[in-house]
This record gives sequence, C-alpha cells and structure tokens, in this order.
Amino acid sequence: MKLTASKIHKALKEQGITHVVGLPDNLSRVFFQGLVEDPEIEVIMVCREGEAFAIAAGLYIGGKQAVVLIQNTGLLEAGDALRGTAWNMRIPQAILLCYRGFKSLDPEVERKDSVAVFTEPTMKAWGIPFEVMRDDSELAMINRAFERAQSSSKPAAVIMADTIV
Amino acid sequence: MLNKYTCLAKLAARRKNEIIITCMGTAKPWEKLSDTALDFASVDSAMGHAADLGLGIAIAQPHRRVIVLNGDGSMLMSLGTLVTIAQRPCQNYVMVIIENGTYEVTGNQVVPGSGIVEFETMARGAGIEQVYTVKDEAEFEERLPLIFQGKGPSIFIWKVERGEEPVPTFRESLADRVRRLRHALLSSC
Repeated sequence: MKLTASKIHKALKEQGITHVVGLPDNLSRVFFQGLVEDPEIEVIMVCREGEAFAIAAGLYIGGKQAVVLIQNTGLLEAGDALRGTAWNMRIPQAILLCYRGFKSLDPEVERKDSVAVFTEPTMKAWGIPFEVMRDDSELAMINRAFERAQSSSKPAAVIMADTIV
Repeated sequence: MLNKYTCLAKLAARRKNEIIITCMGTAKPWEKLSDTALDFASVDSAMGHAADLGLGIAIAQPHRRVIVLNGDGSMLMSLGTLVTIAQRPCQNYVMVIIENGTYEVTGNQVVPGSGIVEFETMARGAGIEQVYTVKDEAEFEERLPLIFQGKGPSIFIWKVERGEEPVPTFRESLADRVRRLRHALLSSC
C-alpha cells in the first residue's frame, strides 16, 4: 500500500504534461524532486498556491498543458484564484493535491487535522470533481481526472492520500 | 504625477503585436484604445492574479512580448508574484504597475501602504533588475520605448493621479475572452 513517485510521474507524462506548477510539501517531496530532474517537464515554483492556478491558466492560453501540484492547505488559500482562473475561464485544469491530515480522519484518531476535515467538503462545495488515491493500484484516477477536466472544460482533481515514496 | 489615460494612449500608439493584459482600472480605458484578439482583460477573474496569468502566457509564448498593466492594489494582493517572476525570468515579460494609491474601481479607498510602499524597492529586492519608477512626463517619454525593447523581465511603476473608473464589465464572458486570445496565439504559431 504505497504511492510511488516514479509511477505517478509516468502517469502524468502519459497525459502530455509540459509544465508542473506548484509548491512541494513533505508528502510530495520525492515526487517533486523527480519532476524537477526531468528535462522534458518544466517545474515552476510559486510563492503561494493562488499563483499556481493563474500561471497554469496562462500556460494553457499559450498552448501548453500544466498540472497544478499543491497541498490541500494551499488549495484552501487559493480558492479565489481557482474560481477566477480555471473555473471562470473554462480551463480543463488537472490538479494533484497532497492530502495533509488524511490519516487523522480515521475514526480511531482523536485529534483531527482541520485541513483534512475541510478538504473534501470544500471541494464538493466548489464543484471540483475529485478522487482520493490511496496507493498505486489507483493510478488510473490520474487519467480520469484529465479526462474529466477535458470533457467539462473545468478543473478536476486527484487527492494523494499518503506520502509519495 | 502622470495621467493614466494619456499614458495608455501613448502606449497604444506604439504597440504593435504585443499581448496586453489589463485588469480593473485599466481594462475599460484600454478597450477604448485597442480591442484586438491580443488584448485581454483579466476581469471577472482572480483578484490580484493578472501578473502571474501574464507570466504563464509569457512562458508558453517566448517569442511574443507580454505586457501586463497591473494596478497597485492588485499587485499588493500577490506580492510573492514578484519573486516568482524573478526566479522564472522571461525576457518577453513586462509589467507596468499603475500606482494611484487607491482601489479605484471600488470607490478609491486608499490601498495599504499608500505613500509608504516603494514598488521599485520591492521588485529589486525580489530579484528583478530592470525596474523603473516613472513620475512625470519627461521620464515617461524616456522610458516608454523600453517597454517594447530589451530583455525582461521588466517592471515599470507609473505614478498616476487618481481616477474615477467604475467596476469594469464586459459583454463577452471571461471564458470567451480566453478563447479569443488562445485562438489568436495558437493559430499564429
């Protein structure tokens, strides 16, 4: 039961990604580094997650295909940017989210990470379709997110529920 | 102090095939000067994100110059973008920060730090080397050609008088305006 950086990386490349825009976190550290080292993909680091959606929108307008890679904390910060770019602009924006606090949602865990509590209800409220990817057997979720984004001309997400190794 | 409308008219007179991104207080005045497929109003979009939207276009279209006409209030909403611009420098990227000290379209409320903030200092501190503060007509005439030539990223800060622009609205939706610009860029590749 694990998420493997090289497999997610390969699944992204199969979608024809030219750019990754986002911010690394502890969950995506290994995955992010692998992307940075890939000469066929440009990784653009931002200072705050809202920038990622705006830059990705600009890349799309200019004919490139970017994926946004951020943590769920940053998604909450970036709500207006997501609304005002990908959503309002009707951009088929695929999003990879790292799910901080996912394990704290276990009923056995007393102390919840509030960002995990907020994440899925917020995405539902914002109308962003998503699936939660727990291990490599669910890699097809990445392809489905891209297909959903393309068919709807709107954002669609995969939330990666564990540390990527 | 500069007059925004005069500055925009002079910019429009020199402009050829550059992409122009406007927002808030510049969107409607610019539309009166130019409304081609390469003019894009970042209105009904994400607050404070015209600068980074333009950066994405500049990265995707390295052979086209992108000129973002940003406001000071909009710039303050995403100051980290100055760092992002510096760490991913695009030679074809130009931003004009039109500094009037207020949120013009919402009633001219004074922006945080008005009269204190130095955008040139912040931009240089972020790591951008080509930064020019323009306070009067003589400086404007001297600096205007630089917007269209030389290697970016470049930042120009126009110190302008307060204006009275209302909240801009457009007949076409934001998505339609995106389609128009994207089509123009991709069909000319």
